[in-house]
Amino acid sequence: MSLDTSPDAVPSERPRAGRQRVGNLDAVWLSFNVVIRQLTSRGRIIALTSLALVATVAGFALGRADADLEAAVRLVSALGFAVVIPVVALVFGGAAIGDLREDKTLVYLWLRPIGRWPIVVGAFLAAVALTAPITLVPVVAAAVLTGAGGGIVAATVLAGLVAVVAYCALFTLLGVWLKRFIVWGLAYILIWEGFIALGGAGVARFAIRKYTRSIIVDRTGVDLDLADFSTTTGVIVPLAVSVVALVLASWRLGRQDID
Amino acid sequence: MTNSPPNQPVPASTPTDLQATRPPVQISTTNSLPTQLPTQPPTTLPPPTLADAAPTADQTGPLTGMIAVNDVSKFFGSVVAVSDVRFAIDSGVTALLGPNGAGKSTLFRMMCGLTPTSRGTIEVLGADPRTDRNVRGRISLVAQQDALFDHLDALGMVTVSARSHGMDRPVEVARRALETVELSDVGAKPVGQFSKGMRQRAKVACALVNDPDVLIMDEPLTGLDPVQRRNMIALFHQLGDEGRCVLVSSHVLEEVARLGSRVLVIAQGRLIASGDYHELRSLMDDRPLRIRLGADNPRRLATALVGRGLVTALSLEAQHVVVDTLDADAIGRQLAPLALELGVRLTEVSPLDDDLESVFRYLVEGR
Repeated sequence: MSLDTSPDAVPSERPRAGRQRVGNLDAVWLSFNVVIRQLTSRGRIIALTSLALVATVAGFALGRADADLEAAVRLVSALGFAVVIPVVALVFGGAAIGDLREDKTLVYLWLRPIGRWPIVVGAFLAAVALTAPITLVPVVAAAVLTGAGGGIVAATVLAGLVAVVAYCALFTLLGVWLKRFIVWGLAYILIWEGFIALGGAGVARFAIRKYTRSIIVDRTGVDLDLADFSTTTGVIVPLAVSVVALVLASWRLGRQDID
Repeated sequence: MTNSPPNQPVPASTPTDLQATRPPVQISTTNSLPTQLPTQPPTTLPPPTLADAAPTADQTGPLTGMIAVNDVSKFFGSVVAVSDVRFAIDSGVTALLGPNGAGKSTLFRMMCGLTPTSRGTIEVLGADPRTDRNVRGRISLVAQQDALFDHLDALGMVTVSARSHGMDRPVEVARRALETVELSDVGAKPVGQFSKGMRQRAKVACALVNDPDVLIMDEPLTGLDPVQRRNMIALFHQLGDEGRCVLVSSHVLEEVARLGSRVLVIAQGRLIASGDYHELRSLMDDRPLRIRLGADNPRRLATALVGRGLVTALSLEAQHVVVDTLDADAIGRQLAPLALELGVRLTEVSPLDDDLESVFRYLVEGR
C-alpha cells in the first residue's frame, strides 16, 4: 500500500536552517544542564540534606564524648559511607535518567542527533554535582567534629569522593536499566552491602563499601573488618567500576524503548 | 500562519484502497457528527478484513518514500500492537486515523526509532532512525504524552530543543518557533503552569526548531481551542507544501477532514484502509445509519417514514422509534416538515452509531 512513492516525491531541496554537528562535549553539557534542573527540587534537597546532617550531629556528639580514633572511623564508615552517601547517590543517580524516562521527557534528548554516552555522562555528572556537596560537606564535618585527628579528615575526603563517583555511576546505570531503581538500589545498599557482603571477604569484593572502608582504614591505621585493600586499590577499583557502569548505561540507553 | 490548498489526491490503485474495496457512493453532508471513541487496549490479531492491508503480488518488494513502512509488526509479549502494516508516504500532509489503542502511537514510536520493530522494517529518509544519528536530526516528533521540562519557560524549553539539534543561533530559532505557534508573548511563566493547549503548542514549537524534513505528530490538536486548531492545521499544510513529510494522527474524524486528503486508517493494529479522505467519507456516508427519533406519537411518525420509503428497518418503543436508513440526508430534510404535517411533536433526533467506532466496525467487518 503506497500513497505516493514516485521518485518525484523525494524531498525537494528547500532552503535549510543553519546547524552544526552537536559535539560530544556540547551534548554532555546540554544533558548536564537539563538533568541538574530536573533533579533539583526543594523538597528533595531539604530531605536529603537533613539525612546527611544526621552524620554531622553524630560526629559532634562523639567529639563531645572524647571518643577515640577507632570510634570516629566506625562512625564515619557506618553512617557516612554505609547510609548517607549511597542513599543520596541513589536518589540523584537513579533519577538522573530514570526520572526523565518516567516523566517521558527523555525523548527530548534521545531523539536528537547526539550520541548516547554524552547523555549518560551528562546525567551522571549532574548527579555527582548534587550528591557531592550534599553528602561530603556533612560527612567531612562529622569527621572534623569527632576531633579524632589521625588523618581521618583527609581519608574521609578521599573515600567520600570515590564513593560519590562510584555510587552515582552505579545508580545511573540502575536508573537507565530498571524502572524501580529506588527499590533495587535500596536492596543493594541495605541487603547486599549491609548484610550479604558482610558475610565474607569474597563476597565483600563486590561491594563498593569495602573499598571506601579500605581507604579510611589504610589512611588511619584503624583496624576494621573487611577493609584490607590498599588505598590505591580502594580508589582504582571503584573508579573502574564507574567507567564500566557508564559504558553499560550508554549501551543500554541506545537499545531500550523510549516512551 | 496561513492556510493553503489541500494536497493532491492520491491515486487509488491497489485492491486495498478504498475506491477498490467499495462501490462509488454519494457524499452526504449531514452525517458529520463523529465523536471520540472510548479507549480500547491493544488487541490480538483480528480475522482478515475486507480492506486488509496485505500487499498484492506486484507490491511485495520494499516500498520507498520519505517514510517507508514495510510489513511492520510490533508485539508486546503476546499482545499484537501493530500487525503487518505496509505503506509509504512522501511530502505533504497525511493523516493517520484510528481509535485509541489502534496502534498509532506505537507506529509513530517505531518510525522515530524509539522502539524497534518486532518484524519488518521502517526507513525514514532512507535510513533507520533508531541507529542513524544524522536522520534523527531531520525528524521531529510531537509525542502524545504531555511531557515537557516543566521548570523551564517556553523560550528555555524550545531553546534546549534547538541546542540539542545543533542549530545556529538557538535562541533566535526558538523565538521564531514560538512566534509560529503564537506563544511568543508568554513571558517567563514555566511551561509547567501552561494550559493544555499552550503545552501542545510548546511541543509543536520544539518540533519545529530543527527545520525537520519529517514531522510526526501524535494527536497534536488535543486541547487546542477551535481557533488554535484552525491555525495549527494551516501550519501543517504550510509545512507540507514546503516539501516536508507531515504525518498527523487523530481519532477525531472531523480533524482528519481538515488535515488533508490523504488518510491512513488503522484499527486493531492493522492498516485497514488508505487513500483519499473524500472516498473514506463517501464510504462512511454510504453505510446504514441508525437514528433514534423521540416523539409524542412515535407510531404515527414511524408509519409515515415507512410510507415514504425513508427507512429500511425500525423498532418502536413507548416514546421513540429507532430507524435504520441509507439516506440520512433525506431524513434530515423531510423529518421536520413531516412531523409538522402529522401533528407529531419531535423530542429527540439522535444518531446512534455516528462515531468512529461504528465507522471502523463498518470498514473492518462490514457491519
